[in-house]
Amino acid sequence: MVISSGKRPGDNLANNPLINPGERIMNPAAGGGVTQDLSENIILTTVDDLYNWTRLSSLFPLLYGTACCFIEFAALLGSRFDFDRFGLAPRASPRQADLIIVAGTVTMKMAPALVRLYEQMPKPAYVIAMGACTITGGMFSADSPTALRGVDKIIPVDVYIPGCPPRPEAIFDAVIKLRKKIANESMQERGEFISTHRFYTRSHEMKTVAPILTGEYLASGTRDMPPKELMQAMGMPVEKTADAKLEGAKATADKQEDKA
Amino acid sequence: MADKEKENASDAAESAIIEAGEVSTWLTEQGFGHEAMERDHLGIEILKVEPQFLLPFATALYAYGFNYLRCQSAYDAGPGKELVSVYDLTKLTDDADAPAEVRIKVFLPRENPTIPSVYWIWKAADWQERECYDMFGITYEGHPNLKRLLMPEDWEGWPLRKDYISPDFYELQDAY
Repeated sequence: MVISSGKRPGDNLANNPLINPGERIMNPAAGGGVTQDLSENIILTTVDDLYNWTRLSSLFPLLYGTACCFIEFAALLGSRFDFDRFGLAPRASPRQADLIIVAGTVTMKMAPALVRLYEQMPKPAYVIAMGACTITGGMFSADSPTALRGVDKIIPVDVYIPGCPPRPEAIFDAVIKLRKKIANESMQERGEFISTHRFYTRSHEMKTVAPILTGEYLASGTRDMPPKELMQAMGMPVEKTADAKLEGAKATADKQEDKA
Repeated sequence: MADKEKENASDAAESAIIEAGEVSTWLTEQGFGHEAMERDHLGIEILKVEPQFLLPFATALYAYGFNYLRCQSAYDAGPGKELVSVYDLTKLTDDADAPAEVRIKVFLPRENPTIPSVYWIWKAADWQERECYDMFGITYEGHPNLKRLLMPEDWEGWPLRKDYISPDFYELQDAY
């Protein structure tokens, strides 16, 4: 070992009575200063690893829940299970989320909304199917006319969590497994990870229509009074009829009291 | 032997004269035609009404004090049988203790189940009648906004009817 200059560990040994003047220890027991400084201050890694490490350390899940599984997921958000320590910060917008935990039954009516949410998430996006309903339809797979038999029929799922519903610890397990999966990804293979469309899509020629929900639900004209036919069928407006009958009923009640 | 005895017992139960309850008696006195059915296990009166007489009948009950439509529901009596629209009524007052209850059943033909809406008497019927329309295809005439409540609006068929056959969509096929 050639030590060129500067303060060397060997220098301390100059006054050592066991060593004659002019003698040097070639390999002293103390560590070399330069190599130690290097190993403490320089990290050798790949861009893939660095990129994956940043991604897996801050997975932002979409705040999404359709049924009882979300109760367990909500427990995970709280202080007892505290999933912020995994770097998971729930996001209310799919544009800011890169993980969706499908918590709860998905129906045929909800399915288009779920696909739309997934498509709005910036890729690469990850999907965790939580609970029996999202894996096979669960207890609804027997005879439900509307429950989707597994969300993997419409969106690609990375991790499945069995359970009905799964415990929060199981979601941790799934998140850790997903982190391992993300850690193994490589930018060179990115082309292979582009998700395939597992659902039927066609290019629509969309037409703009007026929104259905105008906030005037209870104020809509059909709620002012019954239709004419109904009023005619009843003979007179309902309220008046009711009042008249009420009087009749009162009279009857009085009679009954008199009898008693 | 046991079966025969059972049959005899059930025949006896069917043929037994059902004693008209308080509400039924009052309605008969007022001239509202109906049929008293066997009381349920809690002793609540069940009145069977023809659909064309439902509105005046319900109005009379509202006037009698049944101001609260606790539940409106429907069921399918069986394959090829009628659809039934059910109304649970309660007399709601302050400090009510065991308030009076009554149940109306309207039997509707399967081919053209139409019935007047009671929305204009009890506003609570709004969404419940929509659900009955959604699940059984019963048309509530005069309802202000009769469209499907739970199923997608372009769904075909009435899912809770006994003769409904679930569609064989890819999304609905079993995973295994």
